[in-house]
Amino acid sequence: MALDDNALKIKLREWKDKQRRDDLKYLGIGAASLLAFLLFWQMAVKTGLANERTLPAPSAIFETFLDKLTDPDPDGNTLGTNIFASLQVSLSGFFAALVIGIPLGLCMGWWTYADRFLRPIFELIRPVPPIAWIPLVVVWMGVGLKAKALIIFFTTFVPCVINSYTGIRLTNQTLINVSKTFGAKNFEIFHKVGIPSAMPMVFAGVRVALGSSWSTLVAAEMLAASAGLGYMIQYGRNVARADIVIVGMLTIGLVGAFLAAMLQFVEKRFLKWKTTR
Amino acid sequence: MDKVSNKMEIRQISKTFFASKGYFVAIEDVSFDVRDGEFLVILGPGHCGKTVLLNIVAGLDKQTGGRVLYDGTPMDGVNNQISMVFQKLALMSFKTVMQNVELGLTFRGTPKNERRKISQKYLDLVGLTGFEKSYPYQLSGGMKQRVGIARAYANDPKVLVMDEPFGQLDAQTRYAMQEELLKTWEKDKRTVIFVTNNIEEALYLGDRIVLLSECPAKVKAIYPVDLPKPRDMTGKIFLDLRAEISSNTDLAI
Amino acid sequence: MMNLEEKKKSGLELFLYWGLPILAILLVVGGWLWFAISNPRLMPNPLQVYERLIRTFTRPVAKVNLFGHAFASLGRVLMALVFAWVIGIVLGILIGWSRVCKAVIGTIFEIIRPIPPIAWIPIVIMWFGIEEFPKVLLVFIGTFVPLVINTAAGIGLVDKINIDVGKIFGGNRFQILAQIVIPTALPSIFAGIRTSVSSGWTTVLAAEMIAAQHGLGALVTRGWQGSDMALVMVAVITIAIIGAFLAFSLNKLEKWVCPWTK
Repeated sequence: MALDDNALKIKLREWKDKQRRDDLKYLGIGAASLLAFLLFWQMAVKTGLANERTLPAPSAIFETFLDKLTDPDPDGNTLGTNIFASLQVSLSGFFAALVIGIPLGLCMGWWTYADRFLRPIFELIRPVPPIAWIPLVVVWMGVGLKAKALIIFFTTFVPCVINSYTGIRLTNQTLINVSKTFGAKNFEIFHKVGIPSAMPMVFAGVRVALGSSWSTLVAAEMLAASAGLGYMIQYGRNVARADIVIVGMLTIGLVGAFLAAMLQFVEKRFLKWKTTR
Repeated sequence: MDKVSNKMEIRQISKTFFASKGYFVAIEDVSFDVRDGEFLVILGPGHCGKTVLLNIVAGLDKQTGGRVLYDGTPMDGVNNQISMVFQKLALMSFKTVMQNVELGLTFRGTPKNERRKISQKYLDLVGLTGFEKSYPYQLSGGMKQRVGIARAYANDPKVLVMDEPFGQLDAQTRYAMQEELLKTWEKDKRTVIFVTNNIEEALYLGDRIVLLSECPAKVKAIYPVDLPKPRDMTGKIFLDLRAEISSNTDLAI
Repeated sequence: MMNLEEKKKSGLELFLYWGLPILAILLVVGGWLWFAISNPRLMPNPLQVYERLIRTFTRPVAKVNLFGHAFASLGRVLMALVFAWVIGIVLGILIGWSRVCKAVIGTIFEIIRPIPPIAWIPIVIMWFGIEEFPKVLLVFIGTFVPLVINTAAGIGLVDKINIDVGKIFGGNRFQILAQIVIPTALPSIFAGIRTSVSSGWTTVLAAEMIAAQHGLGALVTRGWQGSDMALVMVAVITIAIIGAFLAFSLNKLEKWVCPWTK
């Protein structure tokens, strides 16, 4: 043996240390650049380079954030109430669309007659951008929870159907043939082969849907609402409170990122077989 | 034998991979010479160490220990005298056959006319005349591998490194490609380092065979094959040698 | 079953095959008519929508006919796209190719990324008013983000063996990036372009709905606030048709730019 075990263990430790140093270095660079960015921003405001009324300093924004947690001024709701209002609307529309859209897409992909019947209807809805539904739905149903949930429904529905449809269409024909050879019924193959193999695509669709439903909700709340994060930033603009607007934006981003992370967690749980392959 | 000069010398190469879970010794203390103009075959079972060894010889990977000498000087990184045919083909899917073959010439800044001439010559040589403008996805496995070979030749290397180039071909195509490779080699006598896991292929092609062990890869034995080419795969010496190597080979799991 | 088209069909099957889509379209049209007749204030009937369409030419809204509004929206999107494609792709390449760039730019980008482009509308209006520039800027934000993400991801997914090939054949770092890595990432970059176009189209509508004189989004708002639902329908249908047309042209463009993808 050229190298004994101990020598290798020492080398392994060296390698790990170097790896850790590297990770730390890039983390440091990232943190430093973020800090530099914030510092530059703060300085720009303090020296009067940027107008404090339209671009408050990071420190002021942070203060407003803390304030907004308990203070309903100026839009009439605390930050928590707004988050809750937004989540309630977006999640109810989102889940309704999942429950209807995914099975619909799967059926359209599997049975020709379902495809022939549903496809024309779907193709009519599909190219309408979610935002364009807002005025129609608001006129039909007012500005309540149901109206906004319906708008979110349309937003979520389209990517769910498209991806479930494509996913199940991509089912490996060999797997289908094998199941047929073993005497499985068509519905059984659909259930046990088609659906599982479509799942990764379905999740990809849900991910797209989540992002676009969250952003459509903000638009809906900006156009017609009395609570919610979108309402909050629109109101902030009307009363010329840039700090409120920026706090609202960051919260929208944060909640959106949190929802995406939750979905990823669920996906990992659900698609365990995919990662172990 | 007449005077032997070494093109490359591989000296006590070892390679250990480190990961957060632990380490893995892929190659341990491997030494052999590559003589000028010879067809050297590296024969090894399974998946262990061969590609890593070749990558080190070609300068793509860094060894953990030992040295690789090229014309007597230690190597540091890739060397434009060494060209390679990759196991997984690694053709550029977005380039036409012609553009793939021209890759090395393009990087070197060879003028277009000359580039076309050289690559056309090698495309003709490997029998791909008429496919210059095709994209790789339009070719069969054997044709793709020919592109890989033409690409390596077009770079006009002194040493040609081939990593299981025929591993993914069907038996028929494989025999045909082996024969063609030998014919080309007989013509220009380039130094070739050829990796395979197939004993017959090794015996059919190699001037010498370096037999590696299963993980970690070590040199088990080096067999000279003093048979005239093309070889009769049913001759007695051939079969005896085959049996000998076979009994000395670790079973790949 | 899935491959019914290829089998010989019986009479009933043939009837269902062509009858079902016709039935579906009839149902949609019928549903629309029924809704329009029973709620004339909420929904105009197809004929009214057609008449309203003609009127957008005979009596232009805000002195511009329907084509003018459509071109106003399209112009904003195109202008923003040109900038977003150049800046977004360059940034994506930097983030995907260099770890230092990823640490420096990527960190700030990760904070901006989850904020939907629409949420930028109020602050951008506060900063730049409601002229042309802020609208283009908003669309830029909406189109730029997916491009950076897709480009960086595409660059990161390039197989190491392709880079090895580049090294063996004597390419320097820049040649490998330009001739191997970027073309390999091109389909992924194109996915980013496709997302950016649809996101840009949505963002421009939102921006126009909230504050604009011209543009399809402005038409929607105008119809909505004037209780002129026929105008809303005309605008929405135009928006859908242009959106579908954009998606279609991008598919064609992708086939032309990336001929090696089947």
